[in-house]
Amino acid sequence: MDDKSDLNRALMLDGNAVAGLLQEVFGIELTASPTKCAHCGAVGALGTLLAFTHAPGIVLRCSACEQVVMRIVETADAIYLEARGAAYLRLERHTS
Amino acid sequence: MKRPLEWQIATVSAIKPETANVKTLTLTLPAWLPHRAGQHYDVRLSAPDGYQAQRSYSIASAPERMGEIDLTVERLEDGEVSSYLDDVLVVGDQLEVRGPIGGYFVWEVAQGGPLLLIAGGSGIVPLMAMLRHRAAAGASVSTRLLYSSRTHTDVIYRDELETLRAASTGLEVFHTFTRTQPAGWRGYARRIDTPMLQEVIQPLGPTPLTYICGPTLFVETAANGLAQLGVPASQIRTERFGPTAP
Repeated sequence: MDDKSDLNRALMLDGNAVAGLLQEVFGIELTASPTKCAHCGAVGALGTLLAFTHAPGIVLRCSACEQVVMRIVETADAIYLEARGAAYLRLERHTS
Repeated sequence: MKRPLEWQIATVSAIKPETANVKTLTLTLPAWLPHRAGQHYDVRLSAPDGYQAQRSYSIASAPERMGEIDLTVERLEDGEVSSYLDDVLVVGDQLEVRGPIGGYFVWEVAQGGPLLLIAGGSGIVPLMAMLRHRAAAGASVSTRLLYSSRTHTDVIYRDELETLRAASTGLEVFHTFTRTQPAGWRGYARRIDTPMLQEVIQPLGPTPLTYICGPTLFVETAANGLAQLGVPASQIRTERFGPTAP
């Protein structure tokens, strides 16, 4: 690995770090939601995704195959969410 | 849980130094909500020119404490938020926060155990909330904490961990010191590895409910080691911290 990827790796967080932003977007807690990687099929809680946050946008990668699952970019008046790498996201139905 | 995540203005009601570069801030919240041990708050700083910086900090206090929370903050080199929180902030100051946040890296007494907690450096913070919750609820679930620090003086909550261990049933605490050890130290004196994990988890059986928090490499070493020892991935929850090495 070159220095840049070492640095990216060292600064890597996980899905827990973007819990607040996701809750802002969706209005519900999402980090415990099972997410299926569209590349390798691994299923894990969104909190387990690898998060790269030291850039203008946030990139979430699969912890098994490290392919991109989601990208989130915030601008002054909108939030862009691209989730081509997620085959599905399972949301529990709460009866209350 | 469906509710809007609103920013609120917290007031710093106490500041407690924990180690040379770690402090605990007690925040009084106008819209306090009970949290789950392991959750965090987002903290947002705004400069007069509109520049904003935001970070997440784990809640250190037990959910049983009402109206206020403790956030324990490690001052990072060049950390624009942590250096403000640890060096500039004084009691009575106000701070913009939102939370509690997160639903994956949480433990509540009802989830039971046996419980294995593995902390690297300031990764102890959310695990301390779990231990305080366990104590406040009077739970006796079998629990083992393995806590890696550089030196004895870098151990956050050192006295309280000893008090908790002595006072509660079923809790054992194992320290490892990776740089220097106090005179006469007979415990672990190296970075965590699979043999160390094996010794610590053995009495808990093959499937302890496991929470690992620390820097990325620490978390990966611990999680991979436990996988080698046969702990199912479904029993392991991880939270990665910033770039500091334990």
